[in-house]
Amino acid sequence: MRIATLLILLMLTPLLYAADYAVVVARSSQITRLEIDNIKDIFLRKRNFESGIKLVPVNLLGDDAMRRNFEQEILQMDRETISRYWVSNHFQGISPPATQASLLSIKLFVERVEGAIGYLPLEMIDSELKVLYEF
Amino acid sequence: MNRIIALLISTLLPLVFSHHAVAQTQAYQLGMGLKVNDGFTLGGYFSTELVQGDKVKEFIVDDVAVMAYGSFDNNFSYLIELESIEAYAVNFESDTTASNLPPTIERLYGDYKFSDNVSIRIGKQITSIGYWNLQPINVLRETTSNPKYSYEMFPKFLTGVDIYGYTSFDDDLTYHVYLQGSKDIDEDNINIKIDSHTGFSLEKEINDKWKMGGSLGKFAEIDDTRTRYFQLNARMDDSRYSLISEAIINNQDVRGLGSVKSKAFYLQGEYRVKPRHAVITRAEYFTDGKTATQDKIAVIGYSYRPVFPVSLKIEYQWHSDSGDNRLLSSFSVLF
Repeated sequence: MRIATLLILLMLTPLLYAADYAVVVARSSQITRLEIDNIKDIFLRKRNFESGIKLVPVNLLGDDAMRRNFEQEILQMDRETISRYWVSNHFQGISPPATQASLLSIKLFVERVEGAIGYLPLEMIDSELKVLYEF
Repeated sequence: MNRIIALLISTLLPLVFSHHAVAQTQAYQLGMGLKVNDGFTLGGYFSTELVQGDKVKEFIVDDVAVMAYGSFDNNFSYLIELESIEAYAVNFESDTTASNLPPTIERLYGDYKFSDNVSIRIGKQITSIGYWNLQPINVLRETTSNPKYSYEMFPKFLTGVDIYGYTSFDDDLTYHVYLQGSKDIDEDNINIKIDSHTGFSLEKEINDKWKMGGSLGKFAEIDDTRTRYFQLNARMDDSRYSLISEAIINNQDVRGLGSVKSKAFYLQGEYRVKPRHAVITRAEYFTDGKTATQDKIAVIGYSYRPVFPVSLKIEYQWHSDSGDNRLLSSFSVLF
Protein backbone atom coordinates (compact mmCIF):
# COMPACT_ATOMS: atom_id res chain seq x y z
CA MET A 1 0.00 0.00 0.00
CA ARG A 2 2.81 2.34 0.95
CA ILE A 3 4.62 1.56 -2.29
CA ALA A 4 1.46 2.26 -4.29
CA THR A 5 1.03 5.65 -2.54
CA LEU A 6 4.65 6.49 -3.24
CA LEU A 7 4.27 5.57 -6.89
CA ILE A 8 1.15 7.73 -7.25
CA LEU A 9 2.96 10.66 -5.63
CA LEU A 10 5.92 10.19 -7.94
CA MET A 11 3.59 10.17 -10.93
CA LEU A 12 1.82 13.33 -9.78
CA THR A 13 4.98 15.30 -9.03
CA PRO A 14 5.75 16.21 -12.66
CA LEU A 15 2.16 17.41 -13.03
CA LEU A 16 2.50 19.66 -9.97
CA TYR A 17 5.70 21.21 -11.35
CA ALA A 18 4.83 21.10 -15.03
CA ALA A 19 6.11 24.02 -17.06
CA ASP A 20 3.60 26.45 -18.54
CA TYR A 21 5.91 28.51 -20.74
CA ALA A 22 9.02 28.15 -22.84
CA VAL A 23 11.81 30.31 -24.15
CA VAL A 24 11.82 29.92 -27.92
CA VAL A 25 13.69 30.76 -31.09
CA ALA A 26 12.84 30.15 -34.74
CA ARG A 27 13.06 26.55 -35.93
CA SER A 28 15.86 27.53 -38.33
CA SER A 29 18.01 29.00 -35.52
CA GLN A 30 21.39 27.38 -34.84
CA ILE A 31 20.84 27.69 -31.10
CA THR A 32 19.76 24.39 -29.59
CA ARG A 33 19.82 24.90 -25.84
CA LEU A 34 20.39 27.70 -23.31
CA GLU A 35 20.83 27.59 -19.56
CA ILE A 36 18.79 29.86 -17.34
CA ASP A 37 21.80 32.12 -16.62
CA ASN A 38 22.40 32.62 -20.36
CA ILE A 39 18.74 33.55 -20.90
CA LYS A 40 18.86 35.98 -17.98
CA ASP A 41 21.97 37.67 -19.40
CA ILE A 42 20.40 37.91 -22.86
CA PHE A 43 17.20 39.56 -21.58
CA LEU A 44 19.23 41.92 -19.38
CA ARG A 45 21.28 42.80 -22.49
CA LYS A 46 24.52 41.73 -20.79
CA ARG A 47 25.13 39.26 -23.58
CA ASN A 48 24.28 39.86 -27.20
CA PHE A 49 25.53 36.88 -29.17
CA GLU A 50 24.99 33.14 -29.33
CA SER A 51 26.45 30.80 -31.93
CA GLY A 52 27.83 33.86 -33.72
CA ILE A 53 24.39 35.45 -34.18
CA LYS A 54 23.36 38.81 -32.71
CA LEU A 55 20.36 38.10 -30.48
CA VAL A 56 17.16 40.16 -30.41
CA PRO A 57 15.27 39.46 -27.18
CA VAL A 58 11.58 40.35 -27.20
CA ASN A 59 9.32 40.95 -24.21
CA LEU A 60 5.56 40.97 -23.88
CA LEU A 61 4.35 44.55 -23.43
CA GLY A 62 2.81 45.54 -20.10
CA ASP A 63 2.13 43.61 -16.95
CA ASP A 64 0.82 40.27 -18.16
CA ALA A 65 0.99 37.20 -15.85
CA MET A 66 3.32 35.46 -18.29
CA ARG A 67 5.81 38.34 -18.20
CA ARG A 68 5.63 38.41 -14.38
CA ASN A 69 6.31 34.70 -14.37
CA PHE A 70 9.27 35.13 -16.70
CA GLU A 71 10.70 37.90 -14.50
CA GLN A 72 10.35 35.81 -11.35
CA GLU A 73 11.51 32.47 -12.76
CA ILE A 74 14.19 33.50 -15.24
CA LEU A 75 15.36 37.00 -14.35
CA GLN A 76 14.75 36.34 -10.64
CA MET A 77 14.05 40.03 -10.13
CA ASP A 78 10.99 41.99 -9.01
CA ARG A 79 9.57 44.88 -11.04
CA GLU A 80 11.21 47.52 -8.81
CA THR A 81 14.67 45.97 -9.27
CA ILE A 82 14.15 45.58 -13.01
CA SER A 83 13.06 49.21 -13.29
CA ARG A 84 16.21 50.35 -11.39
CA TYR A 85 18.34 48.18 -13.62
CA TRP A 86 17.02 49.70 -16.86
CA VAL A 87 17.12 53.27 -15.60
CA SER A 88 20.81 52.78 -14.70
CA ASN A 89 21.45 51.20 -18.08
CA HIS A 90 19.71 54.05 -19.92
CA PHE A 91 22.57 56.27 -18.71
CA GLN A 92 25.00 53.73 -20.23
CA GLY A 93 23.16 53.83 -23.54
CA ILE A 94 21.53 50.41 -23.20
CA SER A 95 17.78 49.99 -23.78
CA PRO A 96 15.49 47.19 -22.56
CA PRO A 97 14.51 44.49 -25.05
CA ALA A 98 11.93 45.28 -27.70
CA THR A 99 8.31 44.63 -26.77
CA GLN A 100 5.36 43.18 -28.64
CA ALA A 101 1.76 43.83 -27.74
CA SER A 102 0.41 40.28 -27.99
CA LEU A 103 1.47 36.66 -27.78
CA LEU A 104 0.74 36.22 -31.46
CA SER A 105 2.98 39.13 -32.39
CA ILE A 106 5.79 37.67 -30.24
CA LYS A 107 5.39 34.38 -32.07
CA LEU A 108 5.56 36.06 -35.48
CA PHE A 109 8.49 38.24 -34.37
CA VAL A 110 10.49 35.21 -33.23
CA GLU A 111 9.66 33.30 -36.41
CA ARG A 112 10.59 36.13 -38.79
CA VAL A 113 13.37 38.21 -37.20
CA GLU A 114 16.86 36.73 -37.37
CA GLY A 115 18.28 36.17 -33.89
CA ALA A 116 14.94 36.84 -32.15
CA ILE A 117 14.36 35.08 -28.84
CA GLY A 118 11.13 35.25 -26.84
CA TYR A 119 8.88 33.32 -24.51
CA LEU A 120 5.42 31.87 -25.06
CA PRO A 121 2.86 29.55 -23.44
CA LEU A 122 3.57 25.94 -24.35
CA GLU A 123 0.23 25.56 -26.14
CA MET A 124 1.26 28.23 -28.70
CA ILE A 125 4.45 26.48 -29.67
CA ASP A 126 4.32 24.71 -33.01
CA SER A 127 6.76 23.34 -35.56
CA GLU A 128 7.89 26.86 -36.57
CA LEU A 129 9.57 27.31 -33.18
CA LYS A 130 12.30 25.62 -31.21
CA VAL A 131 12.10 25.32 -27.42
CA LEU A 132 15.28 26.27 -25.57
CA TYR A 133 14.07 26.25 -21.98
CA GLU A 134 10.80 25.46 -20.22
CA PHE A 135 9.65 27.23 -17.07
CA MET B 1 33.86 72.79 -30.11
CA ASN B 2 30.58 74.45 -31.22
CA ARG B 3 31.31 73.25 -34.75
CA ILE B 4 31.63 69.68 -33.46
CA ILE B 5 28.30 69.97 -31.63
CA ALA B 6 26.60 71.43 -34.74
CA LEU B 7 27.99 68.57 -36.83
CA LEU B 8 26.74 66.00 -34.33
CA ILE B 9 23.26 67.51 -34.24
CA SER B 10 23.05 67.64 -38.04
CA THR B 11 24.12 63.99 -38.17
CA LEU B 12 21.56 62.87 -35.61
CA LEU B 13 18.55 64.87 -36.84
CA PRO B 14 17.94 62.74 -39.97
CA LEU B 15 17.67 59.73 -37.68
CA VAL B 16 14.89 61.38 -35.68
CA PHE B 17 12.83 62.46 -38.64
CA SER B 18 13.26 59.47 -40.89
CA HIS B 19 10.06 57.63 -41.84
CA HIS B 20 11.39 54.49 -40.17
CA ALA B 21 11.98 56.43 -36.97
CA VAL B 22 8.47 57.88 -36.73
CA ALA B 23 6.91 54.51 -37.42
CA GLN B 24 8.55 52.92 -34.40
CA THR B 25 8.26 55.65 -31.74
CA GLN B 26 7.46 54.04 -28.39
CA ALA B 27 5.63 55.46 -25.37
CA TYR B 28 7.88 57.63 -23.21
CA GLN B 29 8.73 56.35 -19.76
CA LEU B 30 10.50 58.58 -17.22
CA GLY B 31 14.11 57.50 -16.73
CA MET B 32 14.19 55.38 -19.88
CA GLY B 33 14.52 58.12 -22.48
CA LEU B 34 12.41 58.66 -25.57
CA LYS B 35 13.12 55.78 -27.89
CA VAL B 36 12.38 56.95 -31.42
CA ASN B 37 13.79 53.84 -33.00
CA ASP B 38 16.75 51.51 -32.48
CA GLY B 39 19.02 54.16 -33.93
CA PHE B 40 17.94 57.03 -31.71
CA THR B 41 16.97 57.29 -28.05
CA LEU B 42 16.92 60.74 -26.50
CA GLY B 43 17.42 61.29 -22.78
CA GLY B 44 18.88 63.69 -20.28
CA TYR B 45 19.20 64.60 -16.65
CA PHE B 46 19.61 67.51 -14.30
CA SER B 47 20.44 68.05 -10.66
CA THR B 48 20.35 70.89 -8.17
CA GLU B 49 22.37 71.06 -4.96
CA LEU B 50 22.21 73.16 -1.83
CA VAL B 51 25.42 73.21 0.24
CA GLN B 52 25.64 74.76 3.69
CA GLY B 53 28.84 74.82 5.77
CA ASP B 54 31.11 77.20 7.65
CA LYS B 55 33.13 77.93 4.51
CA VAL B 56 30.47 77.54 1.85
CA LYS B 57 26.81 78.38 1.37
CA GLU B 58 25.64 77.90 -2.19
CA PHE B 59 22.90 76.70 -4.48
CA ILE B 60 23.96 75.06 -7.74
CA VAL B 61 22.13 73.84 -10.79
CA ASP B 62 24.92 71.36 -11.19
CA ASP B 63 24.25 69.27 -14.26
CA VAL B 64 21.99 69.95 -17.20
CA ALA B 65 22.59 67.30 -19.81
CA VAL B 66 21.07 65.80 -22.93
CA MET B 67 22.15 62.49 -24.34
CA ALA B 68 21.36 60.42 -27.41
CA TYR B 69 22.29 56.88 -28.28
CA GLY B 70 21.36 54.05 -30.55
CA SER B 71 22.59 51.27 -32.76
CA PHE B 72 22.78 51.24 -36.55
CA ASP B 73 23.15 47.57 -37.31
CA ASN B 74 23.77 44.39 -35.40
CA ASN B 75 27.15 45.49 -34.13
CA PHE B 76 27.62 49.26 -34.13
CA SER B 77 26.25 51.68 -31.52
CA TYR B 78 27.00 55.21 -30.41
CA LEU B 79 26.40 57.61 -27.54
CA ILE B 80 26.68 61.38 -27.30
CA GLU B 81 26.17 63.44 -24.17
CA LEU B 82 26.30 67.22 -23.93
CA GLU B 83 26.38 68.76 -20.50
CA SER B 84 26.40 72.19 -18.86
CA ILE B 85 28.29 71.72 -15.60
CA GLU B 86 27.47 74.17 -12.81
CA ALA B 87 25.01 75.75 -15.21
CA TYR B 88 23.87 78.24 -12.58
CA ALA B 89 25.27 78.95 -9.11
CA VAL B 90 24.32 81.30 -6.31
CA ASN B 91 26.95 81.93 -3.64
CA PHE B 92 25.18 83.17 -0.49
CA GLU B 93 28.49 84.04 1.23
CA SER B 94 29.63 86.49 -1.43
CA ASP B 95 26.11 87.22 -2.66
CA THR B 96 27.10 86.50 -6.26
CA THR B 97 25.68 84.43 -9.08
CA ALA B 98 27.41 82.71 -11.96
CA SER B 99 26.21 80.80 -14.98
CA ASN B 100 27.94 78.42 -17.33
CA LEU B 101 25.38 77.41 -19.92
CA PRO B 102 27.46 76.52 -23.00
CA PRO B 103 27.49 72.72 -23.08
CA THR B 104 30.61 70.63 -23.29
CA ILE B 105 31.00 67.16 -24.74
CA GLU B 106 30.78 64.87 -21.73
CA ARG B 107 30.78 61.64 -23.73
CA LEU B 108 31.11 60.94 -27.44
CA TYR B 109 31.88 57.42 -28.59
CA GLY B 110 31.13 54.58 -30.90
CA ASP B 111 31.05 50.90 -29.99
CA TYR B 112 31.67 47.96 -32.25
CA LYS B 113 30.79 44.53 -30.89
CA PHE B 114 32.65 41.68 -32.54
CA SER B 115 31.28 39.21 -30.01
CA ASP B 116 30.48 39.04 -26.29
CA ASN B 117 34.20 38.46 -25.77
CA VAL B 118 35.56 41.36 -27.80
CA SER B 119 34.09 44.84 -28.25
CA ILE B 120 35.83 48.10 -28.95
CA ARG B 121 34.79 51.58 -27.83
CA ILE B 122 36.46 54.62 -29.39
CA GLY B 123 35.99 58.22 -28.28
CA LYS B 124 35.45 60.17 -25.08
CA GLN B 125 34.03 57.83 -22.49
CA ILE B 126 33.88 57.13 -18.77
CA THR B 127 37.00 55.29 -17.62
CA SER B 128 36.20 51.69 -16.69
CA ILE B 129 37.51 51.81 -13.15
CA GLY B 130 35.44 50.54 -10.23
CA TYR B 131 31.74 51.11 -9.62
CA TRP B 132 31.29 54.71 -8.52
CA ASN B 133 32.93 56.10 -11.62
CA LEU B 134 30.51 54.25 -13.90
CA GLN B 135 27.42 55.79 -12.27
CA PRO B 136 28.71 59.33 -11.81
CA ILE B 137 25.51 61.38 -12.00
CA ASN B 138 23.58 62.57 -8.98
CA VAL B 139 20.30 60.81 -9.74
CA LEU B 140 21.94 57.37 -9.90
CA ARG B 141 23.76 57.80 -6.58
CA GLU B 142 22.33 57.56 -3.09
CA THR B 143 24.36 60.51 -1.78
CA THR B 144 24.64 64.05 -3.11
CA SER B 145 28.41 64.03 -2.63
CA ASN B 146 31.03 61.84 -4.26
CA PRO B 147 33.81 60.24 -2.24
CA LYS B 148 37.19 61.89 -2.80
CA TYR B 149 38.35 58.51 -4.12
CA SER B 150 36.17 59.07 -7.20
CA TYR B 151 37.53 62.44 -8.37
CA GLU B 152 41.00 62.94 -6.87
CA MET B 153 42.82 59.74 -7.74
CA PHE B 154 42.33 58.81 -11.42
CA PRO B 155 41.00 60.38 -14.63
CA LYS B 156 37.23 59.98 -14.70
CA PHE B 157 37.22 60.14 -18.48
CA LEU B 158 39.19 58.53 -21.24
CA THR B 159 39.53 59.96 -24.74
CA GLY B 160 40.83 56.91 -26.50
CA VAL B 161 40.16 53.21 -26.97
CA ASP B 162 38.65 50.63 -24.63
CA ILE B 163 38.63 46.96 -25.64
CA TYR B 164 36.28 44.99 -23.42
CA GLY B 165 34.13 41.92 -23.03
CA TYR B 166 33.68 38.65 -21.19
CA THR B 167 36.78 36.51 -20.85
CA SER B 168 36.66 33.27 -22.81
CA PHE B 169 37.64 31.15 -19.81
CA ASP B 170 35.16 32.46 -17.22
CA ASP B 171 31.56 33.44 -18.07
CA ASP B 172 31.36 35.73 -15.04
CA LEU B 173 34.61 37.60 -15.57
CA THR B 174 34.74 40.76 -17.69
CA TYR B 175 37.79 42.75 -18.72
CA HIS B 176 38.67 46.21 -20.04
CA VAL B 177 41.95 47.25 -21.65
CA TYR B 178 42.07 51.00 -22.22
CA LEU B 179 44.46 53.39 -23.86
CA GLN B 180 44.67 57.16 -24.30
CA GLY B 181 47.48 58.87 -26.21
CA SER B 182 46.31 62.48 -26.40
CA LYS B 183 44.60 65.20 -24.38
CA ASP B 184 40.88 64.85 -23.63
CA ILE B 185 38.10 66.22 -25.79
CA ASP B 186 36.70 69.29 -23.97
CA GLU B 187 39.17 68.99 -21.13
CA ASP B 188 37.87 72.04 -19.21
CA ASN B 189 35.65 69.83 -17.07
CA ILE B 190 38.08 66.96 -16.71
CA ASN B 191 39.09 66.18 -13.12
CA ILE B 192 42.74 65.37 -13.99
CA LYS B 193 44.19 66.82 -17.18
CA ILE B 194 46.27 64.13 -18.84
CA ASP B 195 47.87 63.33 -22.18
CA SER B 196 48.33 59.59 -21.80
CA HIS B 197 46.65 56.77 -19.90
CA THR B 198 46.92 53.01 -20.16
CA GLY B 199 45.40 50.38 -17.93
CA PHE B 200 43.23 47.32 -17.57
CA SER B 201 40.47 46.26 -15.21
CA LEU B 202 38.77 43.00 -14.28
CA GLU B 203 35.33 42.47 -12.77
CA LYS B 204 34.11 39.17 -11.35
CA GLU B 205 30.44 38.45 -10.64
CA ILE B 206 30.77 35.99 -7.79
CA ASN B 207 27.02 35.37 -7.45
CA ASP B 208 23.75 37.33 -7.75
CA LYS B 209 24.72 39.45 -4.75
CA TRP B 210 28.48 39.80 -4.72
CA LYS B 211 30.86 41.33 -7.26
CA MET B 212 34.47 42.32 -7.04
CA GLY B 213 37.21 43.65 -9.27
CA GLY B 214 40.23 45.83 -9.67
CA SER B 215 42.29 47.97 -12.01
CA LEU B 216 45.93 48.56 -12.74
CA GLY B 217 47.26 51.41 -14.85
CA LYS B 218 49.34 54.51 -15.33
CA PHE B 219 48.73 58.03 -16.61
CA ALA B 220 50.73 61.19 -17.28
CA GLU B 221 49.36 64.63 -16.41
CA ILE B 222 50.06 67.65 -18.57
CA ASP B 223 52.25 69.05 -15.75
CA ASP B 224 54.47 65.94 -16.17
CA THR B 225 53.30 64.20 -13.00
CA ARG B 226 53.37 60.47 -13.69
CA THR B 227 51.06 58.18 -11.73
CA ARG B 228 50.84 54.41 -11.42
CA TYR B 229 47.70 53.12 -9.68
CA PHE B 230 46.37 49.91 -8.20
CA GLN B 231 42.66 49.86 -7.40
CA LEU B 232 40.25 47.33 -5.85
CA ASN B 233 36.46 47.31 -5.59
CA ALA B 234 33.74 45.08 -4.11
CA ARG B 235 29.99 45.36 -3.71
CA MET B 236 27.04 43.44 -2.35
CA ASP B 237 23.45 44.12 -3.33
CA ASP B 238 20.52 42.63 -1.49
CA SER B 239 16.85 43.55 -1.75
CA ARG B 240 17.22 45.77 1.36
CA TYR B 241 20.96 46.27 1.85
CA SER B 242 23.83 47.41 -0.32
CA LEU B 243 27.47 47.56 0.55
CA ILE B 244 30.09 49.10 -1.70
CA SER B 245 33.77 49.68 -1.11
CA GLU B 246 36.66 50.87 -3.26
CA ALA B 247 40.32 51.58 -2.54
CA ILE B 248 43.25 52.90 -4.58
CA ILE B 249 46.96 53.46 -4.10
CA ASN B 250 48.81 55.90 -6.37
CA ASN B 251 52.59 56.02 -6.77
CA GLN B 252 53.45 59.37 -8.29
CA ASP B 253 56.58 60.93 -9.74
CA VAL B 254 56.12 64.67 -9.32
CA ARG B 255 58.47 67.19 -10.91
CA GLY B 256 60.40 68.97 -8.16
CA LEU B 257 59.01 66.72 -5.47
CA GLY B 258 60.20 63.23 -6.38
CA SER B 259 58.19 60.09 -5.58
CA VAL B 260 55.10 60.41 -3.43
CA LYS B 261 52.26 58.10 -2.52
CA SER B 262 48.52 58.89 -2.37
CA LYS B 263 45.74 56.66 -1.04
CA ALA B 264 41.96 56.76 -0.96
CA PHE B 265 39.33 54.43 0.41
CA TYR B 266 35.62 54.47 1.09
CA LEU B 267 33.04 52.07 2.46
CA GLN B 268 29.37 52.87 1.96
CA GLY B 269 26.37 51.04 3.36
CA GLU B 270 22.77 51.53 2.29
CA TYR B 271 19.68 50.26 4.08
CA ARG B 272 16.36 50.59 2.26
CA VAL B 273 13.94 51.17 5.10
CA LYS B 274 11.06 51.01 2.64
CA PRO B 275 11.26 50.56 -1.15
CA ARG B 276 11.53 54.35 -1.74
CA HIS B 277 13.37 55.37 1.41
CA ALA B 278 17.00 54.64 2.20
CA VAL B 279 19.48 55.52 4.92
CA ILE B 280 23.12 55.76 3.85
CA THR B 281 26.37 55.88 5.79
CA ARG B 282 29.84 56.29 4.34
CA ALA B 283 33.35 56.35 5.78
CA GLU B 284 36.21 57.80 3.72
CA TYR B 285 39.94 58.07 4.05
CA PHE B 286 42.04 60.18 1.71
CA THR B 287 45.70 61.16 1.72
CA ASP B 288 47.38 63.13 -1.08
CA GLY B 289 51.18 62.89 -1.19
CA LYS B 290 51.44 65.63 -3.82
CA THR B 291 49.77 68.32 -1.70
CA ALA B 292 50.55 66.69 1.68
CA THR B 293 46.87 66.79 2.66
CA GLN B 294 44.78 64.24 4.47
CA ASP B 295 41.09 63.92 5.23
CA LYS B 296 38.82 61.50 7.03
CA ILE B 297 35.15 61.92 6.24
CA ALA B 298 32.02 60.39 7.72
CA VAL B 299 28.69 60.80 5.93
CA ILE B 300 25.17 60.02 7.00
CA GLY B 301 22.34 60.58 4.58
CA TYR B 302 18.76 59.92 3.63
CA SER B 303 17.45 59.30 0.14
CA TYR B 304 13.85 59.41 -1.07
CA ARG B 305 12.80 58.35 -4.53
CA PRO B 306 9.10 58.88 -5.33
CA VAL B 307 9.99 56.94 -8.46
CA PHE B 308 13.49 55.64 -9.18
CA PRO B 309 14.47 58.29 -11.80
CA VAL B 310 13.61 61.10 -9.33
CA SER B 311 15.85 61.51 -6.32
CA LEU B 312 15.67 63.74 -3.25
CA LYS B 313 18.64 63.46 -0.90
CA ILE B 314 20.04 65.05 2.21
CA GLU B 315 23.31 64.27 3.99
CA TYR B 316 25.65 65.59 6.60
CA GLN B 317 29.45 65.31 6.30
CA TRP B 318 31.96 65.34 9.15
CA HIS B 319 35.57 66.09 8.09
CA SER B 320 38.90 65.84 9.94
CA ASP B 321 38.89 69.64 9.81
CA SER B 322 35.55 70.51 11.36
CA GLY B 323 35.54 73.75 9.33
CA ASP B 324 34.78 71.59 6.28
CA ASN B 325 31.71 69.99 7.86
CA ARG B 326 28.64 70.60 5.74
CA LEU B 327 25.02 69.81 5.01
CA LEU B 328 24.15 68.90 1.44
CA SER B 329 20.80 68.35 -0.19
CA SER B 330 19.87 67.75 -3.79
CA PHE B 331 17.07 67.12 -6.24
CA SER B 332 17.78 65.27 -9.46
CA VAL B 333 15.87 63.70 -12.33
CA LEU B 334 16.81 61.36 -15.16
CA PHE B 335 14.69 61.72 -18.28
